[in-house]
Amino acid sequence: MSDKGTEFFEKFQDKITKVIKKPKRIYFNVKNEDIWEISDYLSNTMGCRLSVCTATEVYDGLEVLYHFSDDTTGIYYSPRVKTGLKNPEINSITPLIEGANWIEREMYDLFGIKFKGHPDLKKLLTINNPHFSEDDHPMRFNRNRTKEK
Amino acid sequence: MAFYNKIIKKSIWVFHVSASPCNNCDIEILDLITPGYDIERFGIKLVGSVRHADVLLVTGIVSYKVAPRIKQLYEQAAKPIFVIGIGTCTAGGATFKTSYNKAGVPLEKVIPVNAYVTGCPPKPEAMIDGVLKLLGTLK
Amino acid sequence: MSKCRIPLGPFHPLLEEAEFFDIKVEGEKVVDIEMETGWMHRGHEKISETRSYTQSIFLVERICGICSTSHPFAATHAMEDIDNVEIPERAQYIRIFIGEMERIHSHLLWLGLAGHFIGYDTLWMWTWKYREPVLQIFEKVSGNRNHYAMFRVGGVSRDFDNALIPEIHPVLDMLEKKMLMIAGAAKDDPVLRSRLKGVGVLTKEDAINYCANGPTARASGVDIDVRRDDGLEYNLINFDVIVLPNGDVYDKLVLRVLEIIESVKIARQCLDAFPKIGGDYLNKVKHISPGEGIGRYEAPRGEVFHYIRSDGSNRPLRHKIRAPSFSNIPTYKASCLGIPLADALITLAAVDPCYCCTERSIRVVDKNNKKLEHNLLTMSREKTANIKKAVAGSEKTPIDRIFED
Repeated sequence: MSDKGTEFFEKFQDKITKVIKKPKRIYFNVKNEDIWEISDYLSNTMGCRLSVCTATEVYDGLEVLYHFSDDTTGIYYSPRVKTGLKNPEINSITPLIEGANWIEREMYDLFGIKFKGHPDLKKLLTINNPHFSEDDHPMRFNRNRTKEK
Repeated sequence: MAFYNKIIKKSIWVFHVSASPCNNCDIEILDLITPGYDIERFGIKLVGSVRHADVLLVTGIVSYKVAPRIKQLYEQAAKPIFVIGIGTCTAGGATFKTSYNKAGVPLEKVIPVNAYVTGCPPKPEAMIDGVLKLLGTLK
Repeated sequence: MSKCRIPLGPFHPLLEEAEFFDIKVEGEKVVDIEMETGWMHRGHEKISETRSYTQSIFLVERICGICSTSHPFAATHAMEDIDNVEIPERAQYIRIFIGEMERIHSHLLWLGLAGHFIGYDTLWMWTWKYREPVLQIFEKVSGNRNHYAMFRVGGVSRDFDNALIPEIHPVLDMLEKKMLMIAGAAKDDPVLRSRLKGVGVLTKEDAINYCANGPTARASGVDIDVRRDDGLEYNLINFDVIVLPNGDVYDKLVLRVLEIIESVKIARQCLDAFPKIGGDYLNKVKHISPGEGIGRYEAPRGEVFHYIRSDGSNRPLRHKIRAPSFSNIPTYKASCLGIPLADALITLAAVDPCYCCTERSIRVVDKNNKKLEHNLLTMSREKTANIKKAVAGSEKTPIDRIFED
């Protein structure tokens, strides 16, 4: 790990749990309240680029994995935020990073995670599709299926 | 009708409709009009408006969002119009047969179809062959 | 001035693929663009959860027909990342060779379509003519022109036939020569220059803020290239990353031409290595253990990202895919506003999204002067000569310049 990475983990050591380290991939858990601060540090101070976010449905809830790529060293920093299955809600980072706009819209579309503070949260991929109603999120296991005619 | 069929064989104008494909059949169709194959030699021409077309080349599994538009395009076209499904996707869904957003597998569910050219993607020679075989059936 | 709304698509002669743009203009100036996606949504991520790992690779190949090696490249990286699988050296060279040949054919395709967008059909026909031998090489090497199916976890699925090397070298030589010619034409042709120079500028700050990647970011002066940053196979090869400063469409065109020349050099290094390196081409992987892996690859359009979470069974629990256009297309919000409508179309095309093909025809009769098309042709020739004097400051044509060299 680079010096910048060690500095980052020292600064936020009480906000980060469950660190999984691989040579070029680092995964760690953070709380929903801290994701703004950590994204701010990663993108603005360390100069990382937000590649994409992955939403996953696991047995006890939904989780969102942010992938920040440090292009000078090739290391991925992946903070993980967890939320419940009912009314999932996470703080948006779109006001901070413009590139997160479509990424968060896609997660809202496929998983139904609401992003608090997103300027224009609407569906991205199944928008205006007659087969998918507004609360039908196709990647969820218990999906509110629209009735077929 | 017989008179029309006799004329259409001389020079057919095709319109390309892309309905949720993987873009591969589309670039192979474009490849047909470039110097490698140059189908304009045979009088086959790619046109920009569906109203000028004699044949529709449809690619891809038709998604629920695009299906009403395909129907609209078919209704707008001057009749008689012939429809050819390019690629295995239009005939059987290929690798997307378990997708949650497929409305037209096979394509007959959306619009009437005259011929299928299968392959993933079909070679340009196969597409030319498909179009000419369809013309051969007209009397 | 009142605003006017121009809907473009989903089926429009301009767009090869179904895509909907809602353009608001004031006079000729674009003031707002909204884009509606979802016409092409097929649900790959959900399908992939029902397929085994080997089948997944052939599924992700069919995300896009143009970059159909990049997605398997990244997906196999993600699967290998979970267990740190080692790949035989010969397989690494085969992977690089297929990846670089694909970059050549994809950039040639974009060059042609960009020429078509600005009404320069000669460029379109030329570049697609040079693209044809590349596809024939693919057919000889892998058996198919577009979906190559070369990738497996732990290597490649078929060996490279060393007997093909003498057939490939002349094609690479031809490509290098022709690309130098096109680079010369781009440098000297006053029409191409005045149509593209300073159009649709994406500044470095915007490129970073929108998380752009690939040629879109590199043409704006952001020095990122996954091939160099992530290493893996490309540690075997010497190559340069091309970065240009201005961020306009002209720089994006020049950057792609230069990248083709760079790819030709990489492919030559692979061809030189093939006879020396024998041995196995597949390290058979029977089981993927529980865990998560990230794989990425520099596709012709930018960074392809795959994330795979495994629970130890034969199928992925979650397979996240991010294509480069997903990050690059939103940059139109920064680059398209405030420019004329005619320039907006080439700016939208400059990030190389997967839509293509313009159809244009114009027939003008001036009632007062009775000027018809043949007069227009003369007028346009005169205009070209005038622009040439104003811009280039020299009377030499591009062809003269090439023969000089």
